[in-house]
Amino acid sequence: MHILKKFIRPLEISAAFFFLVTLSLGCSSYLSGVDYNIDGPPSYGDAIVEASIADATTLIPIVASDSASHSICALVYNGLVKYDKDLNIVGELAEGWDIEEGGLVIVFHLRKDVRWHDGKPFTAEDVKFTYERLIDPKVRTPYGGDFLKIRSLDVLDPYTVKVRYKEPFSPALSSWGMWIMPKHLLEGEDLNTTSYGRRPVGTGPYKFSRWKTGERIDLVSNKDYFDGRPFIDRYIYRIIPDAATMFLELETEGIDMMGLDPLQYRRQTDNRFFKSCYNKFRYPSFGYTYLGYNLLDKKFKDKRVRKALNLAVNKSELIDGVLMGLGEVCTGPFVPESWAYNKDIRPSAYDPKAAEMLLAEAGWIDTDGDGLLDKDGEPFSFTILTNQGNDLRRRAAVIIQHRLSEIGVKVKIKVVEWSVFLTEFINKKRFETILLAWGLGRDPDCYDIWHSSKTRQGEFNFIGYKNNEVDRLLEEGRRVFDQQRRAQIYHKVQKILYEDQPYMFLWVADSLPIVHKRFKNVKPAPAGIGYNFIRWYVPKDQQKYKQ
Amino acid sequence: MRSRNKLTLFGVVIVGLLGLAALFAPLIAPYDPASIDIESALLGPSSQHIFGTDYLGRDVFSRMVYGSRISLSIGFIAVGIAVCIGIVIGSIAGYYGGKTDTVLMRFVDIMLCFPSFFLILAVVAVLEPNITNIMIVIGITSWMGVARLIRAEILSLKEREFILAARAIGASDLRIIVFHLIPNAIAPVLVSAVLGVAAAVLVESALSFLGLGVQPPTPSWGNILMEGKASLGVCWWLMLFPGLAIFITVLGYNLLGEGLREHFSPHK
Repeated sequence: MHILKKFIRPLEISAAFFFLVTLSLGCSSYLSGVDYNIDGPPSYGDAIVEASIADATTLIPIVASDSASHSICALVYNGLVKYDKDLNIVGELAEGWDIEEGGLVIVFHLRKDVRWHDGKPFTAEDVKFTYERLIDPKVRTPYGGDFLKIRSLDVLDPYTVKVRYKEPFSPALSSWGMWIMPKHLLEGEDLNTTSYGRRPVGTGPYKFSRWKTGERIDLVSNKDYFDGRPFIDRYIYRIIPDAATMFLELETEGIDMMGLDPLQYRRQTDNRFFKSCYNKFRYPSFGYTYLGYNLLDKKFKDKRVRKALNLAVNKSELIDGVLMGLGEVCTGPFVPESWAYNKDIRPSAYDPKAAEMLLAEAGWIDTDGDGLLDKDGEPFSFTILTNQGNDLRRRAAVIIQHRLSEIGVKVKIKVVEWSVFLTEFINKKRFETILLAWGLGRDPDCYDIWHSSKTRQGEFNFIGYKNNEVDRLLEEGRRVFDQQRRAQIYHKVQKILYEDQPYMFLWVADSLPIVHKRFKNVKPAPAGIGYNFIRWYVPKDQQKYKQ
Repeated sequence: MRSRNKLTLFGVVIVGLLGLAALFAPLIAPYDPASIDIESALLGPSSQHIFGTDYLGRDVFSRMVYGSRISLSIGFIAVGIAVCIGIVIGSIAGYYGGKTDTVLMRFVDIMLCFPSFFLILAVVAVLEPNITNIMIVIGITSWMGVARLIRAEILSLKEREFILAARAIGASDLRIIVFHLIPNAIAPVLVSAVLGVAAAVLVESALSFLGLGVQPPTPSWGNILMEGKASLGVCWWLMLFPGLAIFITVLGYNLLGEGLREHFSPHK
């Protein structure tokens, strides 16, 4: 009680405010006058400190499903393939592959110069081991789906793996970006509980060093990395569970890299200190935010109603108001940078008049003069459900609520804690509309989200969408390998979805990372900035952390 | 003594002004508190928006004026509920004494043992967090003080001559309690009710700050404060003004309450 009270006592709030001002003046190197704008020759050394809101859960890559664990796994492990800076699939642990029998078979040729961090060589047996664990029902992995489509996986020799699929499956190649685990250490271990989850051994550019729960995870560079020794010697992952504190740390140069929110990007980092000490980046993220309708609800069964609601909400207002302009409108389930995205679909313009007409056509008219539309004696009213801890979504809900009230639709907003949100509302389909976002993979396959067979409890088509044409196209999209033909298929999917409006597609937000200026060679590309992390370096005279 | 009176007067002025602001909110607020204007989002205080604007370009001053309605009405109604429950339970316990008294007062003790804020949080999490529920929940978790005060007063009052006289001429228990005891015991309750308003305003702000109080788009001081939390460093007006408003309100009601206590005190 007293802790909570403390938070809202106004005197303490202003005290905290002054504290913040004084701290931001105490920036060491800003005052000491090192000029980070000077480029120097690449050199080894220094450390990078990244901040995260949450701690990792486990570093067993096939069990980890949260983004904090992924950040670490991405540096410790490798997959057979990866995406390069332009989002093409290139080899990582595999130096090449052949696709045979019309896509039914993939033969991977593995690199012969790769060693695990403990010195043992990496071989095809590790690939087979990882595959067997992925399809093992006892292992609690969320990634098994793609690998259940495999009929057989054979080790032809220590450096060749032959994978045969039950049917042609085009996302197959990209699914082998899955991180490979060491057989010699994990065989016989229970992956759900093994202690290797807290001291992982991989093949990646960084080796695990230590993990202080809830505080930090340290990695050191793998000097024998097959793709070249990383320039930055140490990677420190600091867990700072409060966004405001994290920003304070940034202002004192306690951390070198974090993701900004729109306000921090626009307003809080626009001063001399940040300009001289940090580089900000901005590029579209891989995901979109939407308002999903529960299609089992009779209000939303009528397509005209969903179209009307879409017309009544001004998307550019949402992007300006919620993201401060740092995002773009989206018209379908792919991000605009993807080849699957149909650029011919124009987002419908904001038109509340047309919305009212469509609703009237569907039978929603204000008959009793109370300012709310009604039909069969029931007013048009629904609840937007969203998760706690996301200010942007809450703000978007308020704007939608305001715009819909102008056409006579009453909206309530309900904010629920995340785990309750998933178990009680999403999985049990107890919602009218939800404001949520999808993070997407690089492959456009979205079978799990839209196919009518995926509506059972815990599956992703929780809005209950069913369209035979979309079902057929999604199945075809998985069978066809040619990118151009697949693009045509997904363009059609997007067209139908935008016409059907099972979601009100809202926006694709920008990623807004900030990186300390002493790190050179940070080059944004379609894939973001992390793709060449091992080539980032700090010139000798600007290095901050000594050994 | 004189400075005491000045402080009380100060409290009266604050409470009065806030009351007027809440009553005449539509006349005072220069803008519609719900109207969104993204173009003018996050403007600092200026002659057009004296307390600045929030993320959605809504006028913070107008929202606070309307918010005062919500915060104060929650404060008053919650305290009203608490006083009603407290008076009923306290007077029954005090008047009848014996086992009734023991049972009721142990119940009061039990209620006092609960950390009330967490009780409120739990109840609001289960029920819908809307204004009515918040009023009721705050009311039914804060009547125990009143009950104790009333009981103590009645315990001493019921032995006085005028009560004996009333009983002698055959007045019923209900009549004695309602017309003779409660009017004479009400002074300390009034003081505690005024202080209670301040406490209720604080609890409402805390709930809204945690997102479990008044739901958007209805403004309340607590949820304006919460909106501003993310931008403490740059948009200081989003936290400063609602914070100050809560502070001044609580101060005003406390000063008034203290003044009343002084006024009713027999040792004056």
